[in-house]
Amino acid sequence: MNANPKGAAEDLADVARVLAGEARAFEGIVRRWQGPLINMAWRYCRDRGRAEELAQEAFIRAWRGLAAWRRESSFSTWLFALAANVFRSELKRFPTVNLPIEDISEPAEPAGQLVEAVERERYEVVRSAVLALPMRYREPVILFYFHEMDVSAAARTLGMPEGTLKARLSRARSLLAQRFPHLKNEVAPAKFAGKAV
Amino acid sequence: MTSEPETTNDAQSRSEKIEKILAREEELIPSSGFLASVMERIEDEVVAPPPIPFPWKRAVPGMTLAACVFGWGAVELVRIGVPAATRFSLPAIHVTAAFTRPVEQAGWVALALGVSLISWLVSKRMAGRSGLL
Repeated sequence: MNANPKGAAEDLADVARVLAGEARAFEGIVRRWQGPLINMAWRYCRDRGRAEELAQEAFIRAWRGLAAWRRESSFSTWLFALAANVFRSELKRFPTVNLPIEDISEPAEPAGQLVEAVERERYEVVRSAVLALPMRYREPVILFYFHEMDVSAAARTLGMPEGTLKARLSRARSLLAQRFPHLKNEVAPAKFAGKAV
Repeated sequence: MTSEPETTNDAQSRSEKIEKILAREEELIPSSGFLASVMERIEDEVVAPPPIPFPWKRAVPGMTLAACVFGWGAVELVRIGVPAATRFSLPAIHVTAAFTRPVEQAGWVALALGVSLISWLVSKRMAGRSGLL
């Protein structure tokens, strides 16, 4: 999510300034990471307002724990791992209302000019179904796609071996495929073919 | 003969479709006030007084004393309780004696209830006068 070396250097500089007592330097960190953190939180709850609240809470925790970052991993890895912990614990305290995966029905076939709108709605149902997966499968799916299908980045964020993550992804995919038996792929996405695990 | 390969193809097609849907997520743009609200909270944290440290100097003597008392109690319990437990036997209950004075016992119960009632009424009246109720 952040392979930009300039961004990484800016993160380091801002962290050093914050730790030296310059609180305003944290603004640079928030400015750079607000988009990714809100989008990550969105994938956890699919509620825009809640996603911003969760991202804000993650930034506050990062501010409080900045001195604990040991620089063994990149700042982004540390921030995403911290954010994942915050989102998980906050959503455990105040869960979003999710249907069990068994209760999610596949939308009907679209017809006529409504095809595009219905397709969009259908896609959203599939994405929402991820939130109905058990937590052990849900988080690998959320983070794998958030990290643009980078298994090692998702595994680092979750603090689990890549093999475990791959196994859980595979199980999650089969659960979703069972739930949506009528989904068909019109054109195989060549872009993702090489990256799939 | 042809149903098996079709099923496999369908499953693969479904998986690819799901992969495609999940990979294509629209990106949210942070709301205009998000950065300001985070920095506002950070500034609140900066000016907030530091948390009050736990008063270890005052607590340690009390905690030590409590630990000593509990430790001594446990030692005494074992010292006295274990020999007593070996000699313990259940007393024989005389059922006939238990039913001989029921009226007398009922009187004591009634008296206790009466005292409780009076106590409750007096306290309620006093609380009412002082404006608490």
